[in-house]
Amino acid sequence: MIKTRRWIFAAMALAVTTALVFRPGLPVSITPETRHVFGVIDSLAPGSVVMISFDHEASSLPEIGPLGSAIVEHCFRRGVDIVGLALFSEGTAAGYDLLSRRASVLGRVYGSDWIYLGFRPQYTAAILGMGESIAGVFSADYKGQPLGSTALGKRVRDYRDIALVVSLADGSMPTYWVEYAQARYHERIIAAVTAVMVTSYVPYIESRQLEGIVAGLKGAAEYEQLLGHPGAGMRGMDAQSAAHGLIAILIVAGNWQAWRLRRKRRTMEGASS
Amino acid sequence: MSWEISITAILTLAIYSFLAGDNPFYRFAEHLLVGLTIGYTLVVTVKSVIWPEAIQPIARGEVGAAIPLVLGALILLRLIPRWAGWSRIPLALIVGGGAGVAIPAMLKARVLDQMAATVAGASTWSGWFILIGVVTTLTYFVFTRAQTGGWGTSARLGRYFMMAFFGATFAYTVMSRVALLIGRLEFLLGNWLGLLRS
Repeated sequence: MIKTRRWIFAAMALAVTTALVFRPGLPVSITPETRHVFGVIDSLAPGSVVMISFDHEASSLPEIGPLGSAIVEHCFRRGVDIVGLALFSEGTAAGYDLLSRRASVLGRVYGSDWIYLGFRPQYTAAILGMGESIAGVFSADYKGQPLGSTALGKRVRDYRDIALVVSLADGSMPTYWVEYAQARYHERIIAAVTAVMVTSYVPYIESRQLEGIVAGLKGAAEYEQLLGHPGAGMRGMDAQSAAHGLIAILIVAGNWQAWRLRRKRRTMEGASS
Repeated sequence: MSWEISITAILTLAIYSFLAGDNPFYRFAEHLLVGLTIGYTLVVTVKSVIWPEAIQPIARGEVGAAIPLVLGALILLRLIPRWAGWSRIPLALIVGGGAGVAIPAMLKARVLDQMAATVAGASTWSGWFILIGVVTTLTYFVFTRAQTGGWGTSARLGRYFMMAFFGATFAYTVMSRVALLIGRLEFLLGNWLGLLRS
């Protein structure tokens, strides 16, 4: 059993490696959900402010990184300003790193085009508090400068100055954004989440409590396609398809083998009785 | 290739070595991860919260900022059995305040709004499908009535809806885990070994 499992691990590594090295360039279809999220951000007027919350752990960066990068790039290209923050301590440095990298590539200036507020624990208090006063929750930014000392910091007083909140999450944080920012302050929320979380958030899309959802590496690839700028999401899609193909083959083979063994056992039982 | 990339790559391989069985390299990398995560969280919390929101205001003479700090310190008294009772004060505030804030918000967002959307959505085919899914799944969880006859059929249908949900969730989980593997292999093959074209 353990030996078989190791063969499966090896086959999976081989499938992913082969796809990453040779990149067959399989087509990626764009789902209506991702198209809708793209449309929502695309419809924002230049100078609008999007709040991006890095609500994830470092371990989910392979999925969240490409997704966040595509959304940040879209905002910056549209001339939409970004207020970044983290409600998970592990997302703090990752969020700042992502924003500063994209900003430097696209020539966006810290203080006027984007700011980073840093980390706050107790997400409930933080989300609710920002509805009253963002400066009341974050008196200073990540760099320690008073919030009012930057042009963008002065412009954002509470959710009324934020056009959209994007929660980059690998857990249940978008639910809290819905409960405290959407339900109470009618803020529009977009969940950019790992694929594993999709089924948890679809009901919130149906009820329109969430403005939109874009999920996983596939969501990142779709978003990159819409942006016309292939990146880590698109690069990973060939490997994702190869891995899924292998898993499907293994499931069929495993079931066929189980069915064969069961039939053999029944035949033997019939012969002995 | 920078030494940071090499260290990251070696630690990644150490973690993946668990696939061949438990070993000292894996355990070292795992302990390092746990220690670093706790240390990082502590530093971020002190730098982003305790220092600017408590220590600095107190140093400026804002006495009010000391109240949450003192309440936070009282929780730590749980570690001293003689004074452990003091920790109940901040815990009572957290539980009471937390429940007061959370219960109405959760009730509205997770129950009332969801129910309203389920009923309002029944004007379309997919809305009807969702409504039937919700009702039949709820009948499955009524344990005070025997699941026989029409009620049993409804409960069975609800079980099929749940099975479809579990299947979809599991497929998304597989997709998510594969994405993590891709991220790591891309790092090892590209950033570390330079085998991937950009």
